[in-house]
Amino acid sequence: MEQAVSPTPVTRTPNRADGKDKPRRFDAPNRLEIITGIIVTLFLLGFPWLNPGYRILSLSITTAFTAVALYGLALQFGQAGIMSVGHSAVMGIGAYTAAILATKLGVGFWVALPLSALLSALVAGLIGLPSLRVSGQHYIIITFCFCALLVIALTNGGSFTGAATGLDVGSIDPIFGISFDRLKNAYYLVIVALLLCIFAYYLITNSSYGRTLRAIRENEPLARAVGIKTGFHKIGVLMVSGAFAGVAGILQAYYLHHIAPNLYGAFPSLYLALMVMLGGPRLLYGPLLGAIIVNFLPEIMHLDPIDSRIAYGISLLVVILLLPGGVSAGLLRIYRWVARSVNKSDRHDRA
Amino acid sequence: MQTLIQQLINSLSVASVTILIGIGITLIFGLAGIVNFAHGEFLMVGGMVTWFLVSAGVNFFVALFGAMIVVGALGFIVERGLFRFTLDRPMNGFIMSIGLSVILQHVVIRIFNEVQKTIPDPVGQVWVIGGVNIIAMRAIVVAITAIVVAVTYFGISRSRYGIALRASIADQDTAALMGIPVRKYVTGVFIYGSLLAGLGGALMIALFPITPFTGSVVIIRGFAVSLIGGLGNVGGAVVGGLLLGLVDGLSAGYGSPEWTDAYSLVLMIAVLIIRPQGLLGGTLGPRAS
Repeated sequence: MEQAVSPTPVTRTPNRADGKDKPRRFDAPNRLEIITGIIVTLFLLGFPWLNPGYRILSLSITTAFTAVALYGLALQFGQAGIMSVGHSAVMGIGAYTAAILATKLGVGFWVALPLSALLSALVAGLIGLPSLRVSGQHYIIITFCFCALLVIALTNGGSFTGAATGLDVGSIDPIFGISFDRLKNAYYLVIVALLLCIFAYYLITNSSYGRTLRAIRENEPLARAVGIKTGFHKIGVLMVSGAFAGVAGILQAYYLHHIAPNLYGAFPSLYLALMVMLGGPRLLYGPLLGAIIVNFLPEIMHLDPIDSRIAYGISLLVVILLLPGGVSAGLLRIYRWVARSVNKSDRHDRA
Repeated sequence: MQTLIQQLINSLSVASVTILIGIGITLIFGLAGIVNFAHGEFLMVGGMVTWFLVSAGVNFFVALFGAMIVVGALGFIVERGLFRFTLDRPMNGFIMSIGLSVILQHVVIRIFNEVQKTIPDPVGQVWVIGGVNIIAMRAIVVAITAIVVAVTYFGISRSRYGIALRASIADQDTAALMGIPVRKYVTGVFIYGSLLAGLGGALMIALFPITPFTGSVVIIRGFAVSLIGGLGNVGGAVVGGLLLGLVDGLSAGYGSPEWTDAYSLVLMIAVLIIRPQGLLGGTLGPRAS
C-alpha cells in the first residue's frame, strides 16, 4: 500500500509480467545474524543472574538507555548520512516532556512515554528542517546551536522547567504488580526497550526503506533524480531517530529521578556522537558496543572522570584514523578473516 | 546616550576577541577545508599559557608571544599528525576535532585545575573621554585586532601567497600543476589560524577570567561569526563579529542579558538557512562527504 503512495524506484526492479522477481520488502536474516541476535538477547536478559552488584547493574541501565538514543543517531548518521552533535537536545525534549507532564499534570510514566516519543520526534523534525537547505558540516553546526539554545531556554524557563536546578521526577507506576523501584526490574524495563530498538533498527536497515536511506546517503542528487523524495525521507528518518531519543530521555528521567539542563548540553551531545563513532554507526551492534565501551571503560580500568575523558578522546582519534567503521567494523573484519582462514585450511585438508 | 556609548565601546572589545577567533575559523574552514571544533580549545590553551607565564612573573606582552608560539606549535602538530589524514574526508576530520577538544580540555584540567584563571590588568589605566570610561587594555585589544585584520585581509587579497592560496582553493589540481605546494599552504593556513587563536586567548584573559570550559562557548561564537560573514571571507568575519558584538552589547544594556547567547545563535541559524553562503558570500566551505 505504501509503495503505491511513494514509489521508490531505486529500491524496485521493474516488475516482470510473470510477477516473479518482485522487490523484497525485507531481506531475510542470515544464519550469523540469527545466532548473534539470540546470543545478545540471552546475554542482556540473563545479565542480572550473574550477580553483577549494584554499581555495575546501575551502570548497565545507563548504558542501555544511552544505547537507545545511539540507535536513533546511528539510523540518521549510519544509514541516511545526517550527523548530529546536538542529539542530547532531542533526548532532553523527551525527558523534560515527561518531567513537566509529571510535575504539572500528574501524568505517569506509561502515558508520558508515547507523548515524549511523539514530541521528541516533532522537535527532531523541526531541527531537521535546515537540513533541506544546508548539508554536511554546516548542518552539524546548526544541530550544535540548537543544543545550546535548548540549554539556554531550559535554564531561563523559570519554575516551568525548574531553571538551572531542574525538575524532580517520581518513580514509574507499577504495572502488573511489578515495582520498578527495584533495580533489577528497572534493568529489565530498559533492556526490553533497548531490544525493541535494536529490532526496529534491524528491520529498518534491512527493508526497502533502509535501502532508500542508504541511497540518499551515498548520492543525494542521484537519489532525487531516480524519484526518491529525499527531503521527505530525510525529515522522516530524523523524526524516527528523534522518537528513539525521546524514549531514551524519558527512561533517563525516570531512572535518575532528577533532570537538569546540563544533562542535555553540549558535552552530553558530543559524547553521544563520540560513542556512535567509536562503536561504528553502520553495523547492527555498533551503537551498543560504543555505549558499553564508553560507560564501562573507566570502571574496568579504574580511571577517574578526567582521565577517562582524555581516554575517550584519544580512542576516538585512533578509531577515526585506523578503523573508520568503528570498533564493530573492526571486529567484523577480524571475524571474516578468521572465518576465511578456517575455510582455507579446511580446503587444504581435503585437497 | 552615555550608557549606550559605554555599552558599544565595551562590546567592541569583546567583539575583537570574537573576530580573532572568527578569522581563524573562517580561514581554516573556508580555505584549508578543515572544520576544527577544537579551535575554541586552542584559544583556551593560549589563555592558560598566558596566565601561567604572567603568574610566573613574565611581562604580559612577552607572555602573549609565548601563547602564540605554543598554540601555533600545537596547530602544526595537530595538522601534521591528525588532519592531514582526513583531508579527503572532511566529516571524519570534524569528528576527530571533537575528540581533540575533549582531550585538550581535560588535559588542561589535569595540568592546572577547573578553577577560573585571571591575570591583573596588564596596563591598568582608564581614560575618561567625554564622560565615557575607556579601559586602556580594551583599547589596546581593539587596536591589535584591527592590525591583525588589516594584515590578514591584505595578505589574502594582495600578496602572492594569498593569490596562490586562493588559487589552490579554486582548483587544487591546476594549482598544484602551476607549482603551488598546496599541502604546505593548508598547513600554513592552519598554523596561522592557530596563532590567531593563541593571540585571542592571551587578549581574552587580559579582559575576562578564563576557565577550561571557555573553549566550548567561544567556538560557537566563532562558528557563528565565520558562517554569518561567509567562509574564507576575512571582511565577513569582521562584519559578523561586529554584528554579534552589537547584539551582545545592546541585549546586555537594554534587553534581557540571560538570553544574550540565544540571540547570536538564532541569528546564525537564520543566516545559515536563508543565505548558506553567508552575508558577504564566501567559499561554500568543504563539500560534505
